[in-house]
Amino acid sequence: MTISAEPTTEVVTSAVVPPSSPVKTPWSQRSGWLSQHLGTAIVGAVLGYVFGHWLGNYVASGYTYIANSGQNSIADALALIFMTFGWLLGIGALNYPLAKIVGRSAPEEVIAKGWTKYVRYSTDHKVVGMQYIVGVLLFLFTGGLLAMAIRTELLNPTTHVFSADTYIKIVSEHGTIMMMMATSIIVGPLGNYLVPLMIGARRMAFPRIEAFSFWVFIAGYMVIFSALPYGGFPTGWTGYAPLQTQAGPGMVSYLLGFAVIGLGMMAAGFNIAVTIINYRAPGMTWSRVPIFVWSLLATAALLTLATPVLFAGGLFGLLDKTAQTAFYVTEHGGSSFLWENLFWFFGHPEVYIMALPGFGIVGELIPVFCRKPLFAYKVAAAGMIGVALLSFFVWQHHLFQSGINPDMRPLFMLTTELISIPTGFIFLVGMGTLYRAKIRFEVPMLFCMAVFFNFLIGGITGVFLSDVPVNVTVHGGFFVLSHFHYTIMGGLLFAFMGGLYYWLPKMTGRMMNKKLGLVHFWTMLVFFNLTFFPMFIIGLLGQPRRVFTYAKNLQGLNDFSSVSAFLLGASFLVFLVNFMWSMYINPVMAPANPWDSLGLEWQTATPVPSYNFERIPVIMTDPYHYGEVGAPALADFGDGPPAPLGSSSTTGSDPA
Amino acid sequence: MTEASKVPKGMSETPEEREFELRAHIGSLWSGGRLFIGMYTFLLASLAFSYFYLRSSNNGLLWRPNHVTAPTAYGWTIYSLTLLAALMVIYGQWRLRKGAVIDWQVAGWTAFGAGLLALFLQVWEFTAVPFAPGSSGYASSFIGYAVINIGTLAISVYWLETTLARSLRMRKEFGRATPELSMHASAQSFRANVASMTYWMGFVALGGTLLFAMFYLL
Repeated sequence: MTISAEPTTEVVTSAVVPPSSPVKTPWSQRSGWLSQHLGTAIVGAVLGYVFGHWLGNYVASGYTYIANSGQNSIADALALIFMTFGWLLGIGALNYPLAKIVGRSAPEEVIAKGWTKYVRYSTDHKVVGMQYIVGVLLFLFTGGLLAMAIRTELLNPTTHVFSADTYIKIVSEHGTIMMMMATSIIVGPLGNYLVPLMIGARRMAFPRIEAFSFWVFIAGYMVIFSALPYGGFPTGWTGYAPLQTQAGPGMVSYLLGFAVIGLGMMAAGFNIAVTIINYRAPGMTWSRVPIFVWSLLATAALLTLATPVLFAGGLFGLLDKTAQTAFYVTEHGGSSFLWENLFWFFGHPEVYIMALPGFGIVGELIPVFCRKPLFAYKVAAAGMIGVALLSFFVWQHHLFQSGINPDMRPLFMLTTELISIPTGFIFLVGMGTLYRAKIRFEVPMLFCMAVFFNFLIGGITGVFLSDVPVNVTVHGGFFVLSHFHYTIMGGLLFAFMGGLYYWLPKMTGRMMNKKLGLVHFWTMLVFFNLTFFPMFIIGLLGQPRRVFTYAKNLQGLNDFSSVSAFLLGASFLVFLVNFMWSMYINPVMAPANPWDSLGLEWQTATPVPSYNFERIPVIMTDPYHYGEVGAPALADFGDGPPAPLGSSSTTGSDPA
Repeated sequence: MTEASKVPKGMSETPEEREFELRAHIGSLWSGGRLFIGMYTFLLASLAFSYFYLRSSNNGLLWRPNHVTAPTAYGWTIYSLTLLAALMVIYGQWRLRKGAVIDWQVAGWTAFGAGLLALFLQVWEFTAVPFAPGSSGYASSFIGYAVINIGTLAISVYWLETTLARSLRMRKEFGRATPELSMHASAQSFRANVASMTYWMGFVALGGTLLFAMFYLL
């Protein structure tokens, strides 16, 4: 028997298929181009879009409110819904759900050879992880280009590159794409690739749901990007009503985009949570789970529980646009504040959906480069769970100036300040690990140090912002903008880059170039701070967000920030050059364990075989016994009794 | 294709590993089913929050002018059918545990029919409400409820049908009377799936009761 995507179905197949009988592979499962892949998905999406648009026009063109308006939101919405459906049908995501209707068990997947497996509906978590890398970078660079457009406009307060209308639409698209990207940038690529390896599993719990999460994530990109040809949306990424209600068809893309991406987020979180709960290798008790996995478990809980609220909010907005309901229309018995509540009930956990995996990466990496055990491991895990729980009780601080009973402000000020305590735990765990360590300043470690530096600034300004008086003063200005860029970009994106430099040798078998990596790191760190730190000052001096003109005396600071932003953008080009150079132009094979990590993911072969581990390991201890000669070996891999760390026969690495 | 040919190169599996994988798979169905209910709870909570938020705001005195209500005959019928489907599934699983596979199948198909009818009626009601969707807070909330209920019933009916179809096909594949009750890995997985689906249907009935009370009785 083999372990495949559906272990229980293999037995059934073997029971009915005689060993000698020829099995005809269905066309959809063939490994060549005559099967389902990205090309058929694109065809499906185009056909779905055309059909949906035709259907919407057919169904709704007779309605009086549509007939002479020149705008048919029903057609727009149906086009995008059927585009998503066609995309999923074309890639093969619906093959098994349809086959189940007649009781069929899961087909055995034919693993495509070569690079073509990356353009298919693969149920191998490692392939999905690599697909996600490309996906999130697509989001990141699209959002980044829009950021460059924003900073170009802000070079001069009176001479404009864009109209005010175009500017706000660029800002809105930038914010939305970046937020969508940020929810998945670690969970998608690194979470999917590494979770099974780090918990000693051979597979994900629901590999098809995992693959679905990726392909629906890309569909979400197409939906949200369609806002631009539809004329954009003027609401910023928060989509506040009544502006939402008044906006054109681009708003449909926004609402549906969040719903589609939300589906992917729920699917990803669901699969990761169930996998961690059920597929941990024997002996991997909760106190031996790697801290990165803890962070992903907390994140997955937030993804699965908070995202349905966003989904509902998006659905209601979409109904306002298409079925003419009035959820967010105050004049008709609805309330624009309802959207704010639903959006931020998701939106604040979303902040921790983005932050926690970054903390997890840092917690995972710093013991490796400090050669010390992770300080207060259990406090770090408890801090992550604490952050996840408390994040459901703080959303009203986004409404301090709108839609909240003023008497409730102190309560939410308090809960928001409370959340800084478990966050502080995580920070102190990092400091405790760094204390008196002989740090190896490799590129991944530098990114981790930068996370501490950036997040300290982002976190402390966050504590100020949670206080009502400060919040009221700086609300809607560049101070807030700078704060959340420090936490999200300064925390999450730096952690992601650190994680990439650290794990790419495992994922690809090739080392990233160190010199180029150092250039990338220093340019990114310096220009990130030069871009966003002046924005604190700009904000305190009164410049509001989302407005394309500003006071003349702020031009110097804005120009400084803009030039720094361009150079920050260039630093990402350095990363791209490094990636292409190291992976394709001048590849250098990575050693089996280039960082001397004790992590379980490094103890299996590179490239990782499809079944991950030759034997399911039996875990003996946690993976942080760095510097402890004689500590028990991490795991029994079924190849003889494990030797203690530091002895010559140890499986894994030198702990010191 | 033989068993041996399906084993990836370099891959083998001990009986202990096979047992571990099976337990993990069944555990995934169990915890996945509960987590799915958790997600659905937050979705319903969003709807309930919207309902009470708009009700208490009563902007422009337009929460529910003239106490307009969705057609109660449809409401009672859809609710009764949903309840019937859930009770049938719960009864069927109870009988399955006792070894009465036919009882489970009859109860299951009855539940499927009831669910399908409820789904049809909910779609019908959605298109035939006696008020404009944007005429009041209640009207908007009801349309939201109808859409969510259509989705809920569609998922329930799909899950039920695929489980029943699997049950029939297992019999065809195994060629025995009651493969659903064997200790075979497929049968264990099947029973775990039935258990999760039953739990889900029970929760759908519970949530349906609360929402029915909100939209038709309050």
